[in-house]
Amino acid sequence: MRWLYILHEAFIGLRRNLMMTFAVILSVTVSLTLLGASLLLNEQVELATDDWVGRVEVSIFLCDDRTCPAVTPEQQEELREDLQDHEVVDEVFYESKQEAYDRFTELFADQPSLVESIDPDTLPASFRVSLVNPNLFNVIRDQFAAYPGVDEVVDQREVLNQFLRFTNVVRNAALTVAAIQLIAAGVLIANTIRVAAFARREQTSVMRLVGASNWYIRLPFVLEGVIAGVIGALVSWGLLYGTVPRVADSLAQDIELMPFIGASQVVSVGPWLLLAGGGIAAISSILALRRFLDV
Amino acid sequence: MIKLENVTKTYKRGANDQVIALNDVSIEVIKGEFVFVVGPSGSGKSTFMKILTREQMADEGDVWVAGKNLASMRRWKVPVLRREIGYVFQDFKLLSNKTVYENVAFALEVIGSNRRQIDKRVPEVLELVGLTEKQGAYPHELSGGQQQRVSVARAFVNNPRILLCDEPTGNLDPSTSVGIMKLLDRINRTGATVVMATHDQHIVDSMRRRVIELDDGYVVRDQTRGVYGYGG
Repeated sequence: MRWLYILHEAFIGLRRNLMMTFAVILSVTVSLTLLGASLLLNEQVELATDDWVGRVEVSIFLCDDRTCPAVTPEQQEELREDLQDHEVVDEVFYESKQEAYDRFTELFADQPSLVESIDPDTLPASFRVSLVNPNLFNVIRDQFAAYPGVDEVVDQREVLNQFLRFTNVVRNAALTVAAIQLIAAGVLIANTIRVAAFARREQTSVMRLVGASNWYIRLPFVLEGVIAGVIGALVSWGLLYGTVPRVADSLAQDIELMPFIGASQVVSVGPWLLLAGGGIAAISSILALRRFLDV
Repeated sequence: MIKLENVTKTYKRGANDQVIALNDVSIEVIKGEFVFVVGPSGSGKSTFMKILTREQMADEGDVWVAGKNLASMRRWKVPVLRREIGYVFQDFKLLSNKTVYENVAFALEVIGSNRRQIDKRVPEVLELVGLTEKQGAYPHELSGGQQQRVSVARAFVNNPRILLCDEPTGNLDPSTSVGIMKLLDRINRTGATVVMATHDQHIVDSMRRRVIELDDGYVVRDQTRGVYGYGG
């Protein structure tokens, strides 16, 4: 009975002011789509770095006469043994010149001219090392850079960091725009609710005088805002669900070395969108009514 | 039932100017009384009524209504107070998109009564005010007197202990007014305390009930079985 009344009143308000309702839903949709996109970008970066960082952290490139006197089989064997015995080293793989070339041609299969410019002998052989703790790179570099036959010790995470810095900038920009949009949506909701309350001021003044409780008077208006906010959140969820997995799929076909997020991550971001949409609507509705409907 | 002790209420008007609406007013109304509050416009009648429903709060003095001290009352308890008070307006304040029945039922719905209680109580009240046959009509289809009856029914439907009427006959012609007064009298006889602010000299003189006269914020007269003015 009570809830039926409150819901009924909320829907009357939404219907009576259809244009405003539409504007609220649209602006919530835009802001939450941006918010969801930046959350998903974050997930993507975490997924990619986990995978990447987990595979290799340090490359130790070996000499091949081009840069320094070529590494001898003995030196190479000694290096491998010392690496394997080292306490911070987790795993060691050897990548020969041929394997490096194969990986390169695979990576740049789309750019034949680049592949043609390199012959199998150009790329150096290397040891690829994963560490117990990726932050211990300095220990490895200090110890192995001076080994005979070692050309260079490279922290692969440094390469990754450049990529991360870029994605962070993109994500923060998206988050900032999402936040501003969300504030705008909140102001729009507050205004809409105020208009709705004004349109029904006769009814609310009667309610007040017959002793309806504050929440009984306010809840239809708050619910009106929350319903619009939640609809906006659902629409943005649907938009992300329809687009993000497709974009990730097409990217995955181009970039084979990286794992990509899929539909399941989009699904799991949904509750946060609903919470943000409903929450911002509830807060701005309550604030809008605070002075307007006081006893 | 209602008790004001040395109540003063002033309204600020600009920085230095102020209007004293009630000045050291002490009034007591006991359970079951019927009281007229008379006086010219601006004498403090409206402020007196608003203080009783706690739409306004007294600046000084104590106000008790239905056993509750309004000065120390928490804000969230105000709705509970108002359920003890029925309020009838000069301009009826009916909701135009609801029928007679719905307007009366609304007062019960919004305080959380269930359907069974509403379906039992609303027809009783409509019968009391003589509008059983009009229960499906909308306010604009009714005469002024009928609308005021609906308003009285709405005020009385949850059995309040106090009925406050602010110029209830102000928009009605004399013969219709008599009907409304008979209705209020009947409600008074059921045990409800009735306080009625009015300008209507005829009614006050014919009812011969207690009269409290306000002028410029002071109580200038408090008379049992009184008439509108000394001069008649």
